[in-house]
Amino acid sequence: MFKNHFKIAWRNLLKDRMSSVINIGGLAVGMAVALLIGFWIYDEVNFNKSFKNYDRIAQLMQHQTANGNISTFNGMPLPLGKELQTNYGNNFKYVVMTSWAGDGIITAGEKNLSKRGIFMDEDGPRMFSLKMIEGSYDALKYPNTIIISSSMAKAFFGNDDPINKPMKIGHKLDVKVTGVYEDIPLNTEFAGLEYIAPWSLYLTSEKWIKQSEAAWDNNSFQIYVQIADHTAFDAVDRNIMHSKNIHDAPEDKKYNAQVFLNPMRDWHLRTHFENGIRTGGPIEYVRLFSIIGIFVLLLACINFMNLSTARSEKRAKEVGIRKSIGSLRGQLVMQFYVESLLIVMVAFALSLVLAQLILPWFNDVASKKMIIPWNNPFFWIAGLGFSFITGIIAGSYPALYLSSFQPIKVLKGTFKVGRLAAIPRKILVVMQFSISLALIIGTIVVYNQIQFSKNRPIGYNRNGLMMIRMKTPDFYGKFGLLENELKNSGAVEQMAESHSPLTNVYSSNNGFSWPGQNPSLDEDFETIWVTHDFGKTISWQLKEGRDFSKEFTSDSSAIIINESAVKYMGLKDPVGTIVKWGTDANAKNYKIIGVVKDLLMESPYDAVKQTIYFMDYDNVNWIILKLNPNKSAKQSISQVESVFKKYIPSVPFDYEFADREFASKFAAEERIGKLSTFFAGLAIFISCLGLFGLASFVAEQRTKEIGVRKVLGASLFNLWRLLSKDFLLLVMISLLIAVPLSYYFMNNWLLHYNYRTNISWWVFGISGVGVILITLLTVSFQALKAAVANPVKSLRSE
Amino acid sequence: MIKITELEKIYRTEEVETIALNKLSIEVKDGEFVAVMGPSGCGKSTLLNILGLLDDPDKGSFIFNQIEVADFNERRRADLRKHNIGFVFQSFNLIDELTVFENVELPLIYTGVKSADRKKRVEEVLDKVQIMHRRNHYPQQLSGGQQQRVAVARAVVNKPKLILADEPTGNLDSHNGNDVMQLLTELNEQGTTIVMVTHSEHDAGYSHRIIRMLDGQTVTENILV
Ligand SMILES: Nc1ncnc2c1ncn2[C@@H]1O[C@H](COP(=O)(O)OP(=O)(O)O)[C@@H](O)[C@H]1O
Ligand SMILES: [Mg+2]
Repeated sequence: MFKNHFKIAWRNLLKDRMSSVINIGGLAVGMAVALLIGFWIYDEVNFNKSFKNYDRIAQLMQHQTANGNISTFNGMPLPLGKELQTNYGNNFKYVVMTSWAGDGIITAGEKNLSKRGIFMDEDGPRMFSLKMIEGSYDALKYPNTIIISSSMAKAFFGNDDPINKPMKIGHKLDVKVTGVYEDIPLNTEFAGLEYIAPWSLYLTSEKWIKQSEAAWDNNSFQIYVQIADHTAFDAVDRNIMHSKNIHDAPEDKKYNAQVFLNPMRDWHLRTHFENGIRTGGPIEYVRLFSIIGIFVLLLACINFMNLSTARSEKRAKEVGIRKSIGSLRGQLVMQFYVESLLIVMVAFALSLVLAQLILPWFNDVASKKMIIPWNNPFFWIAGLGFSFITGIIAGSYPALYLSSFQPIKVLKGTFKVGRLAAIPRKILVVMQFSISLALIIGTIVVYNQIQFSKNRPIGYNRNGLMMIRMKTPDFYGKFGLLENELKNSGAVEQMAESHSPLTNVYSSNNGFSWPGQNPSLDEDFETIWVTHDFGKTISWQLKEGRDFSKEFTSDSSAIIINESAVKYMGLKDPVGTIVKWGTDANAKNYKIIGVVKDLLMESPYDAVKQTIYFMDYDNVNWIILKLNPNKSAKQSISQVESVFKKYIPSVPFDYEFADREFASKFAAEERIGKLSTFFAGLAIFISCLGLFGLASFVAEQRTKEIGVRKVLGASLFNLWRLLSKDFLLLVMISLLIAVPLSYYFMNNWLLHYNYRTNISWWVFGISGVGVILITLLTVSFQALKAAVANPVKSLRSE
Repeated sequence: MIKITELEKIYRTEEVETIALNKLSIEVKDGEFVAVMGPSGCGKSTLLNILGLLDDPDKGSFIFNQIEVADFNERRRADLRKHNIGFVFQSFNLIDELTVFENVELPLIYTGVKSADRKKRVEEVLDKVQIMHRRNHYPQQLSGGQQQRVAVARAVVNKPKLILADEPTGNLDSHNGNDVMQLLTELNEQGTTIVMVTHSEHDAGYSHRIIRMLDGQTVTENILV
């Protein structure tokens, strides 16, 4: 029996090829999208799960209140680590102090490579359950040790045994390899971490670190913990909440520092805090894409249902005949289910092929390394289970509805699929187009926002600005030599040094005061130390006063502030104002000599903060070079490289360009943009596919009517309008639904950005007109095909 | 009104070639009522379709109102058709989604008659076929005879010079059939030329002349009047 069902199902599939292709194709595309999104979500929610103690690990964070605003960050003072171990020890299994992960120059023998690494307390490898290939978890017990990843071991030592080999960190710290760990998986917080050196070594590496050992106001360190086995995060939170605040200096107590645990499960997806409250983060994208995935799949299922039912109505007669020759209702029901399941299964198989084909591109856009889990039984259970359910749902209407027809009616021809039968179909089409339209509108808004922020005035000239970080002390004292030679070579027009690169601000401070200050203003200022030619190098724009100048030796206590600072400080006549930094005996007075237009150095979506530029040759980390615009960049770069190699041979030449670094700030939004373009494109494709199928069905259903109308004198235009009108109406209704919906959601999305575009009416206009045109194109093909057919043929079928 | 000479129509499908009309020559005068009879498949409907400008012949001449139309393109045929010819089919071919009134109104819409005029003319013909009281019903709600009367009303609403009827009584019982024949006769008496295909000798009796066909050719002609 089943075999017979299957045979007939297969024949029906082949008989109605056009609608089979549309049906299977649309469903397969929808399923492929759902699969890809599924993989992505799986990858996201499993982030960090490869750490064995995933459920027990947390990072310490603190809330601080300033000006009534709570800010939340993960920097911690150095003494807190010891404090937690000694006075709160029973809450924790491990307390691990770490530095910030960053690039360091590693030397071994002749080799000299820039690698990403971190300094960690000796319990780190054990807590993070690193997979040690060589050495043990105690490998960081002694100060002058290092453990390295297997790929770093390979890079330095090839197939030689790395254990006990000497290395140098930053040309300064001598260490010996005592362990090798398996590369840390990509979908974890510590992906790409190539070496770990002991905390004890870090403490002795720089003077300022040693000096921070009792400084409760220097939040320059990180603390990771694993809580004790018997306790829970919230219990620990209650215990340690004030552990920092009670040690803060009296004048810092007003910040009301509250320490809390940020559990590992929240590290990746729930990163945003607003005024001290966790407000989400990338989890929103997980939600968004889940919704989109479900919607796209829904679109495909809608098509499938629509076309299946439309197609089955054509088979009313077959049902009548089958019934009259004794087919039981149950058997008919079975027949329709088998057909529907067959289609779904073929579509599922096809969707796997599609997903496999799209995955490389998708990985690229999402910067992940996802694979299809061919060997995972759950994947198959979920995939096949889902297909089965889709098949059953989609097959239900024809199965139950059609099989209930009374044979006599159907055969006598008095059976007419009622006007109402088309209503669910119409609702589904409206749903489809509402979703597609909303996606299109959303995509346009995302791109608008990116473009808007990209075009934002930045206050300096970003072209040809090269930035080189002074990673090791080898750079110090060489600036004059470099400048001389580079300027003479003609590769560089101007150069300067700065504390921060142009696309970030590394330091902020408070404790500034000035005459007429509103005493409640105690927000941080961004603080940047630069050398004399900084402004000239980047062509900043002076609004008032003057730039730093070598002619004034007094400029060592001069500052330049930006317009936002003028506004924040409430200064009428800023130039000449004396700003005092500090309160105690060490306090120093600075004189404002100039005001510059706001320089956009941080997030392109946020307002520029109040910023102070100091003139200082010691407190600098970056060399900024303005390449000669009259020379090719390539040539200039190689000239710069050879000069750096000459004076600083021991450090690999590494550089960044300000414009490129800035562009990378849009990566997240551009990723969203690309993905939503992709999804919106598919959504509209699937919807049109469905529309195409439906239009052909309707045209077929109305052939006779079309024939009659033609005989009565209807022109091609009359008929085209007749057939397209209904669909157009549906799309118009969709537009009415999609516009307010997408406006609401996209407006909310934009609220995440302080610097944001607004949604103008043309976004809806363009989307609407675009979709209407696509609809007309899709429908017209069928309409015209039906309209040009010779009516004699359709009227002959009597 | 109609003069066809040596008209040929051949249907070619993949395997077979059917000669539906084989050098057929017929003449129909203004105001005539002609019946066409013959066994099934002899080409009666094909002839009617060509006379109705729905289909074009492969060979031969077709003069309609003194104009050679055999080589007219689709557009010109459609234009000529909607102003001059009305059709009545065996299976009525009313549009289910439209009411009686709307069905009858359709040809007027397509010939661009103004809405007020349309209403007047539709009501006029509905009156004439005595279906006025059903003007807002849908075709499914009417009996076969009533449906065919609506179809006739629709065929004449544009005041065509020629009505082509393909077995107009084929789906009707004799009582309803007679009503329709009566209607056609009246129309003919008012000056409309009618060509009607029928299997019924009785119905053919209403006409002036019977053309008998076989295998795409005329065999005999009986003149009744
Ligand atoms: N569209 C067509 N394609 C192929 N053969 C056709 C077509 N229309 C009619 N025929 C053939 O032409 C012949 C005449 O058909 P028709 O004019 O419908 O006959 P009648 O109306 O006298 O029964 C028949 O043999 C029929 O099968
Ligand atoms: Mg016939």
